[in-house]
Amino acid sequence: MTLATELDPARRVGAEPVLTMRGISKGFGAVQALTDVDFDVYPGEVVALVGDNGAGKSTLIKILAGVHPQDAGQITFDDRIVSITSPAASRELGIATVFQDLALCDNLDVVSNLFLGREIGSAALDEVEMESRAWDLLRQLSAKIPSVRIPVASLSGGQRQTVAIARSLIGDPTVVILDEPTAALGVVQTAEVLNLVERLRERGLGVLLISHNLADVQAVADRVVVLRLGRNNGNFNMSDVSYEDIIAAITGATDSAGLLHPTASTFDAADTEGDTE
Amino acid sequence: MRHHGGLTQVELAGATGLSPATVSNIVKELTASGLLHTAPTSRSGRRAVHVTLARRLGLVAGIHISMRHMRVALADVANTVVSEHSMPLAKDHRADNELDKAARLIVDMLDSVDASLDEVLGVGIAMSAPVDAATGMISRSGLMRGWDGIPIAEVMQRRIHRPVFIDNDSNLGALAESRTGAARGRSDVLYIRLAQGIGSGLILGGQLYRGFGNSAGEFGHMTIDENGPVCRCGNRGCLEALAGGPAILESLRETHGALKLNDVIVRAIGGDQLCVRALADAGRHIGIAAANVCNLLAPERIVVGGDLARAGELIIGPIRHSMERSVVMGANKVADLVQGQLGERAEMSGALMFAVDSSSFGHDDFAAALS
Repeated sequence: MTLATELDPARRVGAEPVLTMRGISKGFGAVQALTDVDFDVYPGEVVALVGDNGAGKSTLIKILAGVHPQDAGQITFDDRIVSITSPAASRELGIATVFQDLALCDNLDVVSNLFLGREIGSAALDEVEMESRAWDLLRQLSAKIPSVRIPVASLSGGQRQTVAIARSLIGDPTVVILDEPTAALGVVQTAEVLNLVERLRERGLGVLLISHNLADVQAVADRVVVLRLGRNNGNFNMSDVSYEDIIAAITGATDSAGLLHPTASTFDAADTEGDTE
Repeated sequence: MRHHGGLTQVELAGATGLSPATVSNIVKELTASGLLHTAPTSRSGRRAVHVTLARRLGLVAGIHISMRHMRVALADVANTVVSEHSMPLAKDHRADNELDKAARLIVDMLDSVDASLDEVLGVGIAMSAPVDAATGMISRSGLMRGWDGIPIAEVMQRRIHRPVFIDNDSNLGALAESRTGAARGRSDVLYIRLAQGIGSGLILGGQLYRGFGNSAGEFGHMTIDENGPVCRCGNRGCLEALAGGPAILESLRETHGALKLNDVIVRAIGGDQLCVRALADAGRHIGIAAANVCNLLAPERIVVGGDLARAGELIIGPIRHSMERSVVMGANKVADLVQGQLGERAEMSGALMFAVDSSSFGHDDFAAALS
């Protein structure tokens, strides 16, 4: 929250992952949405999850968000094996999810939206405290919100996204999941959201970004994980990989056996494959 | 105001925490003195007063496109920035995408200050690569691979139908620092821009020195080690290959994993010895190159700008140390080495000034606007 945490030298990208998923599978009736998927999120890292439609991106984050449990596989959070059975359980662990529809109440103002379900004050609401905390939070995110007392309906797409992201931060999460945060936004709003993602990263949060826009992904992500037809199909450090490599992994032109650049932080399985090349 | 572009008085009260009556009085006072401009508008069906920073004579736009970042601003001809945006860019970004984005940003920003494209006198673009003045193209291919062979000014002009002027970002950074920053009032200045790449701008005899074909100041491509690593420009042992952003990050890769330049600075400030060391190593190489320039041109002051300048003495100290070992002049004649005052906005400010300088409107008007 403060500058001190931003400058915390103990924070390491290469350190222990805050969230680990191993061998995750999930089926819906006859459809196998995810098969044996591995996935890590490190603190202070933006990891992008990309893949074609139906690759299993949404299913994966819904498992993390507690919408539906996995059929098989293990989730470790902060070195503890956890089962995420409900959205409340996910939130309690410290995973905040911002879905594409944002789930804001259009008729309520920014403050009410931020503190919805978590209002401050016992008998009567402490509006003054909530408003000043809302400003604090928005200022930390360098958010361009003109007023916190106007209905959310009158804000632009980027500002609504900002409010939704700010709301996810109220419970002090360690991992923030953003589902298509820049879809359907204008260029100014996209710029705001991308800057916001960088702010989250600077605060030492693990950010999981799902996007179809590879330019946005390449602009902010440290690592990109590719899913294809419900399986892992690549895990790249952004500095080693070109646009074309990512596209090749998404379309299946390269499969995971032919991983181009297995990295130090890649999963164990990918490492062994890299070694045998 | 600069942060938001334009706001209504009520929103201004919310944003500042002042009472609406106080805001109304302040706005009235500043409007009378010509700093603000007000226009009637409506918010949520109510009448409101839309307040923007005043602009006289028209606007200019400045765009700075660096390796990983784009910064766009609108300002009046007196260089008062009225609206500003920045966004991270992909590695190996491409001309068409980014110019589209820049054009749409400019239009959106104009909208937010109630202006139209007609009011834009000119657009200045600062590129992180040497630009050929005659063709408007990047003069050496491979430095920004998504932009090679594209007449950037012309392409941008086709998008917004306003005059577009383009120059190297270090040149424009030097211009800005010499007019309003750390090099003000100095006639011979070397401005070093340390970011992903390394560039420099030269102010000689009070004028920006561009050299033959506009390619002076390629500080980052001075040969430091004849047998050194191959640089992205194709030569061997360039300063940039030894001390540029990628070189610094690569030296930390074993111990720290994949970092960004900003992380290195934050950690070095936080006391991470390996990061401090990586910056110091880069600084020592840069110092040798700076000493060579000092021996050749004897600048009065060296200004360090770009992302890495934020590390302050952690990078400037080692530069000074190795520079002072390799210069020939006496201690009191050596250029003093300082951090830039305009920070990461220097190149964008320079682009705005360049646009004002290059735009054609009467100098009398300009003088009137400044007074």
